[in-house]
Order: sequence, then structure tokens, then C-alpha cells
Amino acid sequence: MGTTTTYTENELVSLLKSRDSKAFSYLYDNYSGSLYTIIAQLVDDIEIANDVLQEVFINIWRKIESYDPVKGRLFTWMLNIARNASIDTLRSRSYQNTQKNQPLQDNNDWPEAGKFTSANIDNIGLKKIIERLKKEHRVLIDLAYFKGYTHEEIAQIEDIPLGTVKTRIRNALMQLREYLK
Amino acid sequence: MNIQEYISSGIIESYVLGLADAEERKEFERMVHEYPELREAREAFEVSLENNLQFKGITPPTHIKSKILSAIDMEGHKTSPSISGGGTSVPPVIGGTGDNYDDNRSALKVMVIRRDFSRILSAAAVVLLLMSTALNFYFFNRYKEYNDKYQALIATQTELASHNQILQTRLLEYEKTMEMMKDPAMYIVKMPAIPTSPDPLSATTVYWDTRTKDVYLAVNRLPDPGSGQQYQLWAMVDGKPVDAGVFDLKDGVGMKKMKNIPKAEAFAITLEKKGGSPTPSLDKLYVMGKV
Repeated sequence: MGTTTTYTENELVSLLKSRDSKAFSYLYDNYSGSLYTIIAQLVDDIEIANDVLQEVFINIWRKIESYDPVKGRLFTWMLNIARNASIDTLRSRSYQNTQKNQPLQDNNDWPEAGKFTSANIDNIGLKKIIERLKKEHRVLIDLAYFKGYTHEEIAQIEDIPLGTVKTRIRNALMQLREYLK
Repeated sequence: MNIQEYISSGIIESYVLGLADAEERKEFERMVHEYPELREAREAFEVSLENNLQFKGITPPTHIKSKILSAIDMEGHKTSPSISGGGTSVPPVIGGTGDNYDDNRSALKVMVIRRDFSRILSAAAVVLLLMSTALNFYFFNRYKEYNDKYQALIATQTELASHNQILQTRLLEYEKTMEMMKDPAMYIVKMPAIPTSPDPLSATTVYWDTRTKDVYLAVNRLPDPGSGQQYQLWAMVDGKPVDAGVFDLKDGVGMKKMKNIPKAEAFAITLEKKGGSPTPSLDKLYVMGKV
């Protein structure tokens, strides 16, 4: 606890692959915040976000053997695990049911219990960066990244041609790259 | 399309953020292999993404870490496929950015299936418990039923055994009688009713063992003696009656063993008071047979 160790990404990966729980603890300390944020932004419910975060880290531990550095950085790999787990949870029937059982709220004058407040969740991380996009771009990135819809589904939802969806998303992504620099 | 156009087409961001479809991912991975500058551009985007997101998030509740650590601790090393080989020796490595979506979905499915499985297991356990309770009840009732039947059978069996004993005793008596009747050393004295007999249909038979001189009496027919009276057998020895013993009609069905009579000319039966008389009451002489 007292000593602060830092690992290079390669060291960390090889320690994780050899089932080093200390390295795993380090991984959690360094990445749980950013992964928790993306999960929270995706599922929008504290309890569910907590569950998904647990699943994500357990899956990272279980599947670290399949991580291939050639295909991308460790963080990218974990970020995708977190996003996919969140979208899967969003789409699972149980989650849809709990959503259905909640009363519709037109105005968000006060935060609903169990929900993240927009103040603490929308103004950080990717959401914050995406906020800077033009509205027509932002909507599509939101649907694609935060709701997990395919380009075809987005074209249907937004009632715009598939080609336009693809172009707008690509442009939005290029813009995003600039913001991140 | 040259590589610079490809790099600035948005494919890198799409790939890294997991928005590219399978075909795009496949193409991207092939291109990365071919063009080092594409790989550099991808890494640059990954690093900038990581720098923007890491340490800038909200902190999860502290208890989650210990929950995760104890979960992986419980799993131990049993789920790890090959520890020593590392990534390189595992043949088709799934992973990297592109395959994560499907990859992780299956992992989640595994978790969901495990949850369902444990739910199914507990449901099955409840069903089994109910079945077992029902069976217990059923078998207990069956047990009671069979126990009652068993007790009844034991009672019947005891009754049969005692019947059997009686029959065996009788059979032995008959056998003994038969033996005596067949025995060539047995002297048979038929004793029909005398003309003045109170009951003209009376008849008895004496079997006299010529070796031991024992006398056995078979009652063919005699009327009931009445209370306080008994029949008495007499042997006529040198013209005088000698007591050969009293007998009851109820003493079984076989031969009655009487007194030992070494010598006699005839046998006779009279009805006397209970216990017998020293001399026969000749007016109550029923049967007689000469030797």
C-alpha cells in the first residue's frame, strides 16, 4: 500500500498474464476511475454501473491471455470491454424491465435516486469531449458510441441515408481526434 | 486510396473506439500490418484517448475493489488456460481492439449463463427437496401399511404354527396307533357288546403286547359316561377280575395305555364311579372279549 510501484505497459501485461494479483490491484487503481466513468455514462445507473465494473475487471483478469498488444494498447482493450459490457447490460431484458418500471420524467429538476447527476457524469470523460461536437455529429456519436447502435440502425432512427450516417460519424470522429490532442 | 487518406478517413478512431464493423476491422488490421505509419497514427490516437480519460473519471465505491479481488482470488488459477506459455504460444489469440466486442460479449454471456445456471441449480434443488419430501411421505405411508400387513401376517403365522403343533401331535398319535396295529407281536382282542350291555352298539379292542405284556385299549364306540363316572378295564385272570385301569373317552383319539397284564383269559369293560372300583359292577358290563 505504502510503496508506489509503476509498471510499463509491457511489464503490466506480462505480470497480469502470469496471474500476478499485485499487478491486477495496480491495474484497478489506475484504470477503474476512467472505466467506471465510461460505464456510468453508458448505463446511467449507479447500482448497474457497480455491477458492470465488477464484471469488467473480472473479465479482464480472466481474458488477459487473449489480449494481443499488436492490435492495440491495453487501455483500448479494457475500454472496449467496458463499453461492450455496458451495452450488453443496457440491452439485456432485465435492464429494460427496470427501466420500464420507472415513471417517465419530463423534467429533471431533481436527480432521481440511483441516477448519476448530469453535473457529475456528463461533464467528464468522453461525454464532455463529445459535447463540443456539432449537434448533428453529437447525436450520431451518442447513438453509435453510447447506445451501441449500428450505422444501419442509426440511419433508421434518424431517418437519414446510411451514407450520410457514415460520413457524419467519420467527420465527427476526425473532430474528436483533434479535441483529444 | 493512399495511406494518408486512409489514416485521415476516421477509420482509426472508429477502430479504436469499437465502432468499426467486422469487415472494416479486418481491413484495418491488414493495413496496420502493411503500413507502419498507420500503426503509429493509431497508437497516437490511443495514447491521446488514454491521457484524456485516465485519472479524470469518477471514483467507484471502495468496496468494489475488494469484491473483485476476492472474486478473482476465489477463482484462483483454475480458470487460467496456460500460464507459462504467454501470449505467443496460444494459437488463435482473440483480442485486440477489433475482436473485443464479440469477445467480451461471449464473456458476459458466460457470466449471465453462470448466474442463470446457479438460479437453475437452486430451483432444481428446491424441486428435488419437494420431491424428496413427497417421497418421504409416500414411503412412510407405505411403510405403515406394510408394517400393519406384516404384523397381521405374524399373527396368522403364529396361529398356523400352533395349529400345526396340534396336528403334529395328533399325527404322532395316529402313527403310534398305526405302528401298534401293524406290529405282528401285538395280540388283538376284539371286545364286542355283550347281549345285556346297556349299549348294544358298544365295541372296543385291546392290543396286548406279547413281549412286554403291556395292554393298549382302542375305543371303537362307547357312550358318554356321564359326570362322576369312568369306564374301567378288567382282565379275567384265573376266573377273577383284575383291575387294568380306568380311562376317559376324551383322552385323545389313539390308543390308551392301560396296566401291564402278564396273563389273562378275557378282557371286559364296566362303568364305575370316578377313579374305579375294586370289583366290577356286572350290571354295567358293556363289552367283553376272550383271548
